[in-house]
Amino acid sequence: MPDAVPSSTAAIVEAIEAALAGGPPVVVATVVTGGAGDLPAGAKMLVRDDGRTLGSLGSTEADETIREVAVAAFTAVPRIVTATWRLDGRAATDRPSQAAEGATEVMVQLFEAPARLVIVGAGHVGLALAKIAELLGYETTVVDDRPEFANRERFPMAQQVIVDAVGPALDALTLDASTGVVLVSRGHRVDEEALRHAVGRGAGYVGMIGSRRRTRTVLDHLAAEGFPAEALEAVSTPVGLDIGAETPEEIAVSILAEITMLRRGGTGMRMSRNRTSGAG
Amino acid sequence: MIGLLTLESPMSLDLYRELRASLATGEPRVLATVADTRGSTPRKAGAQMLLRPDGTFSGTIGGGCGEAEVWQEAMETMADGQPRTVLVDLTEPVDGDDKICGGVMRVFVERIG
Repeated sequence: MPDAVPSSTAAIVEAIEAALAGGPPVVVATVVTGGAGDLPAGAKMLVRDDGRTLGSLGSTEADETIREVAVAAFTAVPRIVTATWRLDGRAATDRPSQAAEGATEVMVQLFEAPARLVIVGAGHVGLALAKIAELLGYETTVVDDRPEFANRERFPMAQQVIVDAVGPALDALTLDASTGVVLVSRGHRVDEEALRHAVGRGAGYVGMIGSRRRTRTVLDHLAAEGFPAEALEAVSTPVGLDIGAETPEEIAVSILAEITMLRRGGTGMRMSRNRTSGAG
Repeated sequence: MIGLLTLESPMSLDLYRELRASLATGEPRVLATVADTRGSTPRKAGAQMLLRPDGTFSGTIGGGCGEAEVWQEAMETMADGQPRTVLVDLTEPVDGDDKICGGVMRVFVERIG
């Protein structure tokens, strides 16, 4: 007969469910191969972003090693959802080639709510962004002060449509690492105002549409107002990947391609550049 | 600077809702998780599938590509409670046809409850 379910398992499953539903993200480590350390396969430990743990992998040494790995996973760039770590005493590697023979293997998984996209501007580009973002699985929030644009009929795919001035609307939103903010309003003055309320708030991505010159001017304004240089430097502006986008839909593809690239740690390079020589 | 998170489909929330409910009622489930992958695989590490005692399941670890093999092993784990690691090799041609998925994935299968 299999062992009884450890009492921590139910608590861990509950915490994963809460994280996926929008609660604090959690990392869960599971022993895949006991290896030389002879840990029980299936043993689980949950780690919160402040390093608190629940459950055990079967040894204090493994728990401590994986706890460090897990805490780093909360802030890793690019975000790694699931990685298998090989342990050798207090040493850990996520590269199979560096693993010692018979190493203990621990799967480390990050659980968190779906990514969110805040679209400031309900015009043509905003609409195209909302459509493509839905396809990509984002929860979207649309912000515009014009009710004739920001409405349910136009944005049935959005989780939230906010009709308000951009400043107060953005201030009321929680911007975290899983949130991207894209500023594509009707004009660069509105975008500039929105940027004041989006920059340095903890969003994983902030992008602003506009020409090289216009966007430079906006960044200079905010720098002069005392916004930290590092936060302004991180703003993706001009926005998107250079794919020669012209139509609103193409611009939306360019922006979401950039966001995807950053989230997944891609290069933006053409895949065919990596083609193996001689392949058909 | 970028910390945007990986998408979890709503399906994965459903999966954990079901798992929590089954733990509460004492009915077992088997959880299959893609632990790591090499080459081109339909789903990446972290994809999960939840199997019920009657053999039905929710979630997917890759559709037709290797799912049947994992299902078979998952049913074994359902019966004996022993966790398993299933190596799914999608690089081998079947019946002379190339498989459309060309990589290798390791799937960890565990009974919960």
